[in-house]
Amino acid sequence: MPKCTINGKSIEVKPGTTIIQAFKEAGEEIAHYCWHPALSVAGVCRLCMVQIEGQPKLQIACNTVVADNMVITNKSEPVKDAVRWGMDFHLINHPLDCPICDQAGECGLQEQYMRYGQYDPEMAEPKQKKHKVIDLGPTVVLDSERCILCSRCVRFTEEVTKTNELGIFNRGDRSEIGTFHNKPLNNNYSYNTIDICPVGALTSKDFRFRQRVWYLKEARSICTGCSTGCNVNVYFNEEGTWRVKPVQNDKVNGYWMCDKGRDVYKFTNLPVRLTSGKTGSKDNWNLLEAGALAKDVGATIRAAARSGADKIALVITGQYSNEDYDALFQFFSVGLGVQNIYHWINNPEDMNGFDGLLFRGDRNPNTKGLVARLEKYGVKTKWLDLEDKIKAHDLTHIVIAGPENHSVFPDLETKLRLFDQVPNVVWLSAGKSVAVDGLTAVTTQIPMKTFIEKDGTYTNYAGLEQKVKRGTTIVAGALTLEEAVHLMSGEELDMNMRPLPPKYLKTNFLVHKGGPL
Amino acid sequence: MEVKLLTEHYDKPEFKALVGYKKLGGYDTLKKAFGMKPKEIIEIVKASGLRGRGGAGFPTGMKWSFLPENNEPRYLLCNADEGEPGTFKDRMMMERAPHQLIEGMVISAYAVQSKKSYIYIRGEYTESYRTVEKAIREAYDGGFLGKNILGSGFDHDMDVYSGAGAYICGEETGMISSLEGLKGQPKLKPPFPAVKGYLRKPTIVNNVETLAAVKYIIRDGAQAYRKNGTEKSAGTKLFSVSGNVVRPGNYEIPLGYPLKDLIFNLCGGLKHGRKLKAVIPGGSSAPVLTADEAMRATMDYECLAQMGSMLGSGAVIVIDDSNCMVDLMKVILHFYHHESCGQCTPCREGTGWLDKIVTSIVTGHGRLQDVQLLEKVAKNMMGRTICALSDAAAMPAISFVTKFRDEFEFFVREGRSKVKKEGYNYAQMHH
Repeated sequence: MPKCTINGKSIEVKPGTTIIQAFKEAGEEIAHYCWHPALSVAGVCRLCMVQIEGQPKLQIACNTVVADNMVITNKSEPVKDAVRWGMDFHLINHPLDCPICDQAGECGLQEQYMRYGQYDPEMAEPKQKKHKVIDLGPTVVLDSERCILCSRCVRFTEEVTKTNELGIFNRGDRSEIGTFHNKPLNNNYSYNTIDICPVGALTSKDFRFRQRVWYLKEARSICTGCSTGCNVNVYFNEEGTWRVKPVQNDKVNGYWMCDKGRDVYKFTNLPVRLTSGKTGSKDNWNLLEAGALAKDVGATIRAAARSGADKIALVITGQYSNEDYDALFQFFSVGLGVQNIYHWINNPEDMNGFDGLLFRGDRNPNTKGLVARLEKYGVKTKWLDLEDKIKAHDLTHIVIAGPENHSVFPDLETKLRLFDQVPNVVWLSAGKSVAVDGLTAVTTQIPMKTFIEKDGTYTNYAGLEQKVKRGTTIVAGALTLEEAVHLMSGEELDMNMRPLPPKYLKTNFLVHKGGPL
Repeated sequence: MEVKLLTEHYDKPEFKALVGYKKLGGYDTLKKAFGMKPKEIIEIVKASGLRGRGGAGFPTGMKWSFLPENNEPRYLLCNADEGEPGTFKDRMMMERAPHQLIEGMVISAYAVQSKKSYIYIRGEYTESYRTVEKAIREAYDGGFLGKNILGSGFDHDMDVYSGAGAYICGEETGMISSLEGLKGQPKLKPPFPAVKGYLRKPTIVNNVETLAAVKYIIRDGAQAYRKNGTEKSAGTKLFSVSGNVVRPGNYEIPLGYPLKDLIFNLCGGLKHGRKLKAVIPGGSSAPVLTADEAMRATMDYECLAQMGSMLGSGAVIVIDDSNCMVDLMKVILHFYHHESCGQCTPCREGTGWLDKIVTSIVTGHGRLQDVQLLEKVAKNMMGRTICALSDAAAMPAISFVTKFRDEFEFFVREGRSKVKKEGYNYAQMHH
């Protein structure tokens, strides 16, 4: 284990550690653009300059391996000067169009100029002209003038996705990022190139020109787009959520997330949400406050259960948290003695699908948590039993803990036609749906909270339990499934009272320390 | 005095073909080499004090001994991408004596136990390419390449590869990238080519003149080679003299030869009886020498290094007093701006910046602080990049400005050259 001194701090590192990694381990600041912990070393931005005792020349920290007893600093005047000039070289041909740039506020150039630059520019000559607004593909737009040619995006498509869409064309200060003829940047991980772009060269078609980042707040959460459970930050303001970005977690997603997961914020926003409790049936709906409605429908179900729990069915999707499931099973299975509990699998053919990187065919965040509880409560039903029972008119009530994200339930309408044959339908879901509004049965719709509006735990495909915390509230009256169940059971609910998670849970702490680099 | 070791038979047209080459003692040294152990050859080359003739002047024998002791295939690459402005010696060597290069290469390949070598020839050198390719075919037919060469049990294959005209592909790792079919960009070091080079295998890259010289070192022995030159700069070297001299051309002289004699005796002095103003002694990347310095300089690695310049590739560019140094610097900086590969920020942006500043000056838009800015920008480009191109642009810039500051300041103040009545039309030249 080589020992070294970094800016006066003595640390011990693993053999083969590079100086820049040692700096990160020691918690010392170091300027850099091209180096990324998950990509190969390019050594081209020349900003991570360090002085090593006994070596006349400054060295780049990213390609120098720590040797025993190295004394390294980046606080000396030669290093500061080199970094200051490095910033100047990066900026002389940069358009400095921060007022109209989407990266402003989270830009590596802005941040590092304030930290290491702060000089008076001396460039008087016209800047290099390059192409702007280049459409790289369905997700990404390139501005070559803003690009600092760090090659992170190129290395990402080479090394991570192995799709090789991007390259650097031309040479010298005429170099530009580009795609090969007729081969757009079109893979399921393309948005990551925007995240790792330290400047505003790559911008997201989904997010550009929509919000200023400094007006957005961010909340740590888990992507609910599939069973991988990538760690994310959700960016929101009082109007709603605007984008999702991955957060480093080596146990789950590394530094990346897929493009499909980037859409999870979209179904949390008002236009697609069920905003109020509803009762009635096709073309005849009464709007009611969700809590009151839950109490009413709870009383009805309890009454129905007293006359025969076998007339009640419960359908559950893999979209809710473990706490939600616990409450649900406690009430229906233990409290009411309902045996007819069914797991609604939205995409049975792809349940075990996997693209080799992150994206999984099981597009529910918590199938594993649900299956565990089905086993715990001894539920061994088959979906076909439910269909038979409905066709035989054995059921009077059906309660459906429906999907949060309707877009991943291609079978939504066929399933609803099936449920519609039961006289009383209780539909719990975050999203609004024309199909649900068209049900002819006596229907109660209770609005649910989405993942960004509640606390809870999701179990990912590998059995790792990950917590989400409430970031914001988008639909004021919506309930969590757990809250709805408590109200249905007749309890008066203090909305602030949250059950603590049991102690045996594996807790996955988010380890990312912040910053866009 | 010229000492014709490598160039002894260069004026004989028959030396170019295998038959004539053999008549003049060709491939005899190869037979001699096969009688030695590979390690012995490396030791002889080390003892000869031969230093790389491409520009960096790294000791050749030492470079060879950096190869790791393993069973991986090894490659020998001949760097014939002669791109340094002012240099034209490798071209003559390939066109007049291709077999001399091939023989030197097979001996070197045997010494480093490489079974495959490539000659990477500058894209513009079409004649060299054709000549070397033909010579390789002849060598295969004559049994000097291929399986079991001259019954020694040593196999060696050789190929030529034409570059596409990029200066940066003359940098050894840039050349390796280009040979691998990638964009010609230097690679990050470490690992060095001797450990991971062509196709990530141990690779030795040597200049044409270096490899040809190996033949004569083996033929005559290390001590005989050392008879010419100085203690630290052994042997003879080809110098390409260009510029305002009466007889420009390639001259083979012993290292340590006075620059003054090279210009005024061998090259016949300056044209039209003009006065010497400056000399670039080692290709356009080498810092310029003033006339005074040039009169004192000897052509060897140590003297030029001591004067703050370098021997480089041995391209001597002689500048008389009719030339404007600002004009010349504009031409040099435009070249490096055009040729920077663009990987490392200081070089990509710095070469462009230098070019733009000096363009502003020569078009009459210079500011007084620009003269100092040229120096500052250049200093901050040095030693901070993957390869030496950044330094190659910065070194002439610094030396031009510091040694001929009055010409730069005059140009800024007056908006015209101190020397020339009329300048070039730079609006046309600069895109």
